[in-house]
Amino acid sequence: MAHRQTHGSSWHRNRRNWLTFLAFVAPNFLIFGVFTYWPILYSFYLSFNRWNFLRPTMEFVGLRNYARLLQDEYFWEVVGNTFTYTFSVVLIAQFLAFLLALALNRKVPGQPFFRTVAFTPHITTTAAAALVWVLLLDPQMGPLSLIYNALGVQGPRWLVSTTLALWAIIIVGIWKEIGFSSVFFLAGLQNINRDLYEAAMVDGASTWHLFRHITVPMMTPIMFFLMVSGLIQAMKAFDVVAIMTEGGPVYPASATYVYHLYQLAFRNFRAGYASAFAMFFFVAIIVITLIQVRMSEKWVQYGE
Amino acid sequence: MASNPSVQVQVAQGRALASRRRRERLHTGLTYLILGVSAVILGMPFFWMATTALKPIQEVVIYPPRWLPSEIRLENFVEAWQAAPFDRFYINSVVTGVATTLLQVLFALFMAYAFAFIAFPAKNLLFLLVLSTMMIPVEMKLVPNYLLLKELGWINTYWALIIPPAAHAFPVFVLFQQFRTLPRDLLDAATVDGATHVQTLLRVVAPMSRPLLAAVALVSFVGRWNDYLWPLIVTNKVAMRTLPIGLAYLKETQEGGNRWNLLMAGTIFVVAPILVLFIFTQKQFVEGITRGAVKG
Repeated sequence: MAHRQTHGSSWHRNRRNWLTFLAFVAPNFLIFGVFTYWPILYSFYLSFNRWNFLRPTMEFVGLRNYARLLQDEYFWEVVGNTFTYTFSVVLIAQFLAFLLALALNRKVPGQPFFRTVAFTPHITTTAAAALVWVLLLDPQMGPLSLIYNALGVQGPRWLVSTTLALWAIIIVGIWKEIGFSSVFFLAGLQNINRDLYEAAMVDGASTWHLFRHITVPMMTPIMFFLMVSGLIQAMKAFDVVAIMTEGGPVYPASATYVYHLYQLAFRNFRAGYASAFAMFFFVAIIVITLIQVRMSEKWVQYGE
Repeated sequence: MASNPSVQVQVAQGRALASRRRRERLHTGLTYLILGVSAVILGMPFFWMATTALKPIQEVVIYPPRWLPSEIRLENFVEAWQAAPFDRFYINSVVTGVATTLLQVLFALFMAYAFAFIAFPAKNLLFLLVLSTMMIPVEMKLVPNYLLLKELGWINTYWALIIPPAAHAFPVFVLFQQFRTLPRDLLDAATVDGATHVQTLLRVVAPMSRPLLAAVALVSFVGRWNDYLWPLIVTNKVAMRTLPIGLAYLKETQEGGNRWNLLMAGTIFVVAPILVLFIFTQKQFVEGITRGAVKG
């Protein structure tokens, strides 16, 4: 009898807890359900259809969207652009950010000021920054022209060159990324136990040795994190392209994947084909993340 | 080999000290070199934006360009403000930015609390489901979301700008990490006193996490303010646009005239509030961003 009562009351308590839990997570899950989970399923469904947003019915085309995608010149070109953009931004920005973090890690007068300046690009509205960069890179009106002038050379017209337009976008990407990454590197550098250096110095290790065998290994988890998040972030580049080049000067010379996806869906009204594009992107992000997780097991050194 | 070992040690020590000092000076010099070059390159866009916004148009298009305006022309700001409905853009950005931020933080607060403190079957699996939304880029949901919002009649409304982004996994994750570190005794004491979960959350957990809540809110707000793609998709009337898209609109309307001084004034309208916010809340801000990333 007594046993049953406690059992009953614990069930009662559980039910109360469970209902509270459900109530607490309900708002987010409701929104995720409607605006994230469902759209993915629907995207998947759309990718097997042909539809222009207007006709009352869709036409089921099976895998034809995917087959077309592989033969689409634009697809391969924007994939190439996105690869170039993503890896250039992540690798160059990481290298420079690490250098900057090493400098910021020395407590010299004025250090807080430099830290603020470094981080500001990251919080600046990308669309606005991109517009400023259009002006900065202008061979006539921008400050670079003073350098060209001094050197007596004709400055490149970044945005009307089919090869340089993508690099103009990459430069803005790097500019935004450096300060962000350096904040993480700096936090990592400050977390390294000083005793490690002291001990190695007693053993007569050189500065380069300390750097190579203590600093760099200790930073690998941060490098890994920044690479994963940086790659995924860079793959999604849209604002800079929309403001600076609109994929030009000859489309798709500087179009990134997401920018082309937007064009397909909201300029060409190809809902089904754009959805196949989106699904491919989704799979690519998951694959890249998994590869990086596997790779990290090899070269990331966690812990002390 | 015959010399006194202690003298040898002293000489060696002296030499080591001198070379260390020299190295120290070299390092400081190198540090300032890196910092200086970085500051010039990273800060140049802000400098050029500010000076161009103050220049009369002849000084913008002049070649070679001038570093500073010869006269300060504040009318550029007035003209930029009138060239596009910036008052509307501001209202839209502020209203939707503040509303989304408040909802994001509120929803995340309740969800993080539930995951941290309330027992529920298959909780880990549900948490993974939440985190998985961070892997799914907004970009790949654009078409179905657009269709859905059209169906709901939400295109060109604040609903479309506020509700879908109100659920976000990042603040949930950051708050969850923090809640797990809170002393259990405190919560148990509250429960013993007969407090409900809502009371414990609002009276104990939330006040203890106030700095982090502020940090999370800042990151959310800046994220909404700077967003370009979502408002571009879910609005198409000029009067419903937010500031970043309003700036692109200004660019289109001014294109032929090349009135870069007005465009830069418009750019300042967009970035100034964020820069001011950042300068005053830098610490919390960086905290909010780095929290979710570095484990433990």
